Amino acid sequence: MFLPAGSQDETGIQISNRLRAAESFRLVTKKRNFKTISTPVVEYANTFTNQMAGMDLHSMLKWFNAEGEIEVLRPDWTAAIARAIAGQHPSEQKWSYQGSVFRFDKDETENRQAGIEIVHADQFLGEAESLLTAIAYLKNLTIDTYVIELGHTGIFDAIVGPYHFDEKQELVLLDAMHDKRSDLVEEIVTQAGHPALAEPLVALIDAYGSREIINTYRERWKKHQDLLDILSHIEKLMDLLESAGVTEVIVDLGRVKNLPYYDGIMFRGFLTNDGSTCFSGGRYDRLYEQFQQKTSAVGLAFDVDTLAKHMNAEQEPEKICILATPATHAVAEQFRIDMEEQVVDIQYQLKSDANYQKIYQVVEEDSQYKVVEK
Amino acid sequence: MKPVIALTKGRLEKQFLKFFAELGFEVDPLLEKGRKLQIETSEFSFFFAKGVDVTTYVENGIADIGIVGGDILIEHQPDVYNLFPLPFGHCRMALATKANYQWPEQKKRIASTFTNITKNYFKDKGESVDIIKLEGSVELAPILGLADAIVDIVETGTTLKENGLVIEDEFISFSARLIANRSSLKIKRDQLVPVIERFKEGAKKA
Repeated sequence: MFLPAGSQDETGIQISNRLRAAESFRLVTKKRNFKTISTPVVEYANTFTNQMAGMDLHSMLKWFNAEGEIEVLRPDWTAAIARAIAGQHPSEQKWSYQGSVFRFDKDETENRQAGIEIVHADQFLGEAESLLTAIAYLKNLTIDTYVIELGHTGIFDAIVGPYHFDEKQELVLLDAMHDKRSDLVEEIVTQAGHPALAEPLVALIDAYGSREIINTYRERWKKHQDLLDILSHIEKLMDLLESAGVTEVIVDLGRVKNLPYYDGIMFRGFLTNDGSTCFSGGRYDRLYEQFQQKTSAVGLAFDVDTLAKHMNAEQEPEKICILATPATHAVAEQFRIDMEEQVVDIQYQLKSDANYQKIYQVVEEDSQYKVVEK
Repeated sequence: MKPVIALTKGRLEKQFLKFFAELGFEVDPLLEKGRKLQIETSEFSFFFAKGVDVTTYVENGIADIGIVGGDILIEHQPDVYNLFPLPFGHCRMALATKANYQWPEQKKRIASTFTNITKNYFKDKGESVDIIKLEGSVELAPILGLADAIVDIVETGTTLKENGLVIEDEFISFSARLIANRSSLKIKRDQLVPVIERFKEGAKKA
């Protein structure tokens, strides 16, 4: 029997690390007063494809139900959580979730995620709590070589806002900025009749790096209070992250939203050793407008599969075997219960390829059973 | 660790090395590589692969940056930074068929290696076609009657002409491009940005 492309069985360290990552996430978020939420794996496609969520149906695992409506395997947590908590009392602000998302456009069809959503909270508090929870979680997993990147959707919006682009041009321009494709950016704005926009946008493509970028752009944008406010906002979060011990915080001022619901700060964590993205998230107040709510919403999701690959292997406890018989199995079981720190296996016969640090056997002495080392 | 550069083997490789040498980089180990697929210079690690594989290696972070034809990027849409065009590898994408060919009344059959580009081209024209995927020598398809026309890259047009085909339409111009892995560009920026800037300056001067 074969597996479809993008699916895989798991054994050994990967699954043990993933389970540890899940438990660690539960403990870290519980300590930080997050309330656990879960949504169904099967949802209506519209939850994710509506105008506010704006996700592409092509990449979803989907089918028609008996009523002819399109159902999907959950492709994204944020839109599903928004649907689920829109009706909750606003006093509930902090939510955490764990589970899989399913997409065709990734190397693996199933991707395990663990994430948080903070709604109805003060904007900076929500962003700070999201990022500090990410740091605490990575620390708990003993992952300490990572870079956090900050961006903001408002920068592109503020620069392009005064100029008119039709819908198609704007989408192509966003894609070109997303790909840092400077020649196409220049071509689109020129074709749209806004050649003056080429220089600032092409420069913005290269506006990534450490804190000096903020200082450079503070000078460059000194007449644009809206952009200066965004820079101050990003810098406040940089200060917070550095105070919390993050060794490398970078900015990408040219980063644009890759989902229409992003609406403000965007963050992403890269693992330094191989560059894989371990978490991403940001602000998405706009997503709640579909539920007639004008509120604050921010969150991030960890890629648990990526984390599991990068976690150190768990220290294996001592592995022992007790040789027993059907008649002495209960005695061996009692001995196992008493061995709290060890991995204890019970066998009736020792296999030739067995790999135990110690072997015990149940023996009878003076009509009493006892367990002794062999 | 040195930056890792993935190079498209063949014609683009030769053109890139000329460009790279003109920028003042060390190229001797690359020129003397023989059949080796991986070469180290004092500044970089290079490896050589087919164009589409270059995008896969860069997308997965095995290579930090790559040199690849624009046709490959349009066709396969890899998740990489598609930075800027380089001053070599100039080609066009064209629709070609036999000279004086009478197009059929029914849906056309188009042969191409670039099935996505072909699909989007006819979609933009509002025309339904059947696309036949071929891996090479696409010019044969109309000659042998497999397809009504082909969509393929054209550099000089000589191959088309020698096989009795004529260009019906040219619709994309492209060149080699510099691509970068999305994480590497950020994490290894101190190493990569100076190189990318030299490429950019070289591309502007050319």
